[in-house]
Amino acid sequence: MSGKRVLLALPAVLALSLSACGVAGGSSDDSDAQSTVSGEVKGEISFQTWNLKGGYEEYFNGLVKDFEEANPGTTVKWIDQPAEGYQDKLSADAAAGALPDVVDVGPEAAFTLASAGMLLDLSKTDAEAEANYLPKAWEANHFPSLGGTYAYPWYLNTGPSFFNTAVLEKCGVTGELPTSYDALFTAGMTMAEKCKSDASMVGRLPAIENFGSYGVPLMDEAGTTFTFNDAKGVELVNHYKELFAAGGLTEATLNELQTGEVDAFKAGQVGWLPGSSYTLKDLKETAPKIAETTEISPQITNDQPNMYIESLAVSAKSENTATAVAFAKFATDRENQLAFSQQAAIFPSAAGALEDEYFTKDDGTDETALRLESAKAVSEAIVYWPAAFSSKSVDYLREQIALAVLGKKDVQEALDESVEYANGNLPQ
Amino acid sequence: MSTPTLVKPVPPPTRQGRGGVGRTHDRWWAPWLFLAPALGIVVTFILFPFVNTLALSVTDATLLKPGHFIGVDNFVRLWDDERFRTAMTNSLLYVVCVVPVMVAAPLVLAALVNGGGRLLGFFRTAYYLPVIMSSVIVGLIWTNLLDQRGLVNEVLRWLSLVNEPVGFLSDRWLTLFSAMLVTIWSGLGYYMVIYLAAMANIDQDLYDAASVDGAGPVRRFLNVTAPGVRSTSALIGLFSSVAAFRVFGEVYVLTGGTGGLGGQNVTVTMLIQQEGTGLQAETGYAGAISVVMFVVLGGLLAGQLWYQNRGER
Repeated sequence: MSGKRVLLALPAVLALSLSACGVAGGSSDDSDAQSTVSGEVKGEISFQTWNLKGGYEEYFNGLVKDFEEANPGTTVKWIDQPAEGYQDKLSADAAAGALPDVVDVGPEAAFTLASAGMLLDLSKTDAEAEANYLPKAWEANHFPSLGGTYAYPWYLNTGPSFFNTAVLEKCGVTGELPTSYDALFTAGMTMAEKCKSDASMVGRLPAIENFGSYGVPLMDEAGTTFTFNDAKGVELVNHYKELFAAGGLTEATLNELQTGEVDAFKAGQVGWLPGSSYTLKDLKETAPKIAETTEISPQITNDQPNMYIESLAVSAKSENTATAVAFAKFATDRENQLAFSQQAAIFPSAAGALEDEYFTKDDGTDETALRLESAKAVSEAIVYWPAAFSSKSVDYLREQIALAVLGKKDVQEALDESVEYANGNLPQ
Repeated sequence: MSTPTLVKPVPPPTRQGRGGVGRTHDRWWAPWLFLAPALGIVVTFILFPFVNTLALSVTDATLLKPGHFIGVDNFVRLWDDERFRTAMTNSLLYVVCVVPVMVAAPLVLAALVNGGGRLLGFFRTAYYLPVIMSSVIVGLIWTNLLDQRGLVNEVLRWLSLVNEPVGFLSDRWLTLFSAMLVTIWSGLGYYMVIYLAAMANIDQDLYDAASVDGAGPVRRFLNVTAPGVRSTSALIGLFSSVAAFRVFGEVYVLTGGTGGLGGQNVTVTMLIQQEGTGLQAETGYAGAISVVMFVVLGGLLAGQLWYQNRGER
């Protein structure tokens, strides 16, 4: 072939070769994850957290140092990703087959990564670890449809209800603060009559965890089909529809995400905020006048309280699996979780950690009262959000409920379509 | 009698040996060498992604799993997808409403601010300012203005023009028209500058002749300026059509990234972003939407070019 032809052929070859490696849309399915972990605890691993560098750098540097000292010959490279775009970062790493050895994930991300064979199945490699964690926390990373458990539980969060009593009184709600959904909706209707769009009780449409705490069965036992379109689910959405018709929900509310709900509460436009153990501090710092008229009350639920969980998963493709597993267990053990929970407004998932006096002894301050109340809720709470309910399904459910509340779609039809969409997004 | 030849005949040029033409032939690769950097960029960042998108569109690929060939299944699914129909309606409506304004309004503005003087210079700068602002900043400014408790609603209530706040950012159509307003507001200055450049090329004699014939400013604008920048108008029509159909930033920011109440304001590009990003990304399906978008946009441009050429003939 002449030089001219070779040069002319180069772009075509480049395009073809690039397309050959790009069509896949991701790395190949690696279903043969390690069945057991063997090897020495040595070598370098990467450890990725989500938005924790800002206030907890000292804690994590100490954690890494302690581990390296306890395990000579190991190096832990700590990487912290900013809050924004964490899922995108995980996506990029996962698609490139370059997931960090130990990675901070929620159950939903863990489920997706595990479905693609990218996480170590702990039920095969470290089944005894289950005893070291709260049963409900361990269960959150057990995925029946995949038949395994894919992450070590790390920190938990839950929170009581925050009520702006000034707004409530202005809109005719007096007496005991609501603790159940029925009481909440009744109070919401009272506010609607008195205040209309000036202030409302609810600042956001129900999410999947609200369906759970309302008493709606979310999935079947096998974890293969969603079931939240039953009569109870329809009943919950109908409450919101009635509230909207009475003027107790604005159109803007139907499109709000969590940040919008918090902002509306801080602006005195919403009476109820389902918060976390961090909320009180945040209110005192950013909306002190609202904090003055805010009262804390138990979480609104018809069943057990809801909680959220972050976990540490180990990449199935780690070159130092033994080291990665050892570090994940080290970071999530009782001592280190307790130390972390005393610095951050979170709760430990390690067995017995909630019995520490930090979570049981009252010193008379608002902050401690909130911590004790939340810790009590955590010990009873469950993670309602099914790991298989993807973020796309979250958006779809919100959109469908909004259409139903607006009257543009029948409530049953909206929930049926949401269930169908969520089922369609389950890994095949 | 023959006369001696004084001029030596020049031999015909040869493609052999080391002559000038032959040297050019030896260096056939020289132009390719100059083109190589640009070609490399085009192939890597345009041609390859395009071919890859075409290939993805006929697979069931997700971000984390390789795809299998599924023929036209993704396109059949699109046909039944209510969100895709909504997105296509919104994007096409955007083109229909925004493009005529983008073609006409900057021309009027350009005619108003064309000329010397500090005052006109100030207005030219003022109209151009939104162009240099990030679309996110523009979106945030307008979000604060049009929010239920924003400045516009407060003024309307203060003037007793409305009892309840107007849902500029919650009603489906008002949200879409608000986004169009933002697009037009931020794009006017850019196209105005293009028109100003085109107007500088119009022969001043034409204006003088029109004035002598008794034409006033409006008549001069309609009979001299507008025809004089006709090809520029066509170009702006093409540019703004592409931009309008691909609208993302304005709608994304005004709806807080949700695609509006019930997802009713989602546009085609937003749908591609929603389907094609994140851990649960369906890259195959997102590829199919992109291909349809390419075809629609291509058809739109071909139609405009055909119409323009027909007019010129």
